[in-house]
Amino acid sequence: MKKHIIITYVLLIVLTIVSGLTYSVADNNIPSIILLLSALKFIGVSFYFMDLKKAHIFWKSAVICYLTILLIVVLII
Amino acid sequence: MNIQQIDAKNIYFPPGGILMWIIIFLELITFGMGIVAMVYCGKQEPNLFHESRLLLNPVYGVINTIILLTSGFCMAISVLYLKTGNKQKSKKFLLITMLFGMLFLIVKTIEYKAKIDIGQSINYNLFFTFYWLLTLFHVIHIIVGLVILGSTYFGLVKEKTSIEDFESSATFWHMCDLIWLLIFPVIYLFF
Repeated sequence: MKKHIIITYVLLIVLTIVSGLTYSVADNNIPSIILLLSALKFIGVSFYFMDLKKAHIFWKSAVICYLTILLIVVLII
Repeated sequence: MNIQQIDAKNIYFPPGGILMWIIIFLELITFGMGIVAMVYCGKQEPNLFHESRLLLNPVYGVINTIILLTSGFCMAISVLYLKTGNKQKSKKFLLITMLFGMLFLIVKTIEYKAKIDIGQSINYNLFFTFYWLLTLFHVIHIIVGLVILGSTYFGLVKEKTSIEDFESSATFWHMCDLIWLLIFPVIYLFF
């Protein structure tokens, strides 16, 4: 259990540093990549730090739905 | 302290409690609408938003993200220790969590001071209006979170805090991480 939290933490830090490094890259796809990395971090925190992976499917789906809708709306605008 | 196992698979008992999750969704929807409004305005005035975004130092954003994630990690470990009955280690990690929360506020204060000193306040332009509103609203959540964690810590010392209360406090603190993970990329990197 503790091992899962440590692995999640290391992955979250790596994803944050990767997001920060994309700052200087000039590419049209960068905003989408940054948002995707952010969505992965969001899932990491909610499922592993907040223990949502143990919760009822309703709560897991609600978080995934919220994230998907937000990402789609932001990318469509 | 009352330590009992709650069936988290039950729809009415998500980790942290159903009321806390209702609050979390309300907060996420509120910040989500702010983010959508910012992106919409950014698409109307792409040059203004791009040039304004370049005035921000993303290093502050990355450092604050790492600080908040570390704080969230310590909080998760603290909950884990409390569930296994190791109260001393749980208290230690809770203190470290609060320390990182305060560090976040210090870094944010330094960033805000630098912005105010060069006149980039809430009225500077539309980008900075969103920047100040979203980040300040988040800072208020961090301050409230620190007060909740402080009260939980003293409750733990006096053996008045139940594991459910502790988990609810932790869930509120993680919510601050979640909000930051949404606003950080949009403000510092997106435009």
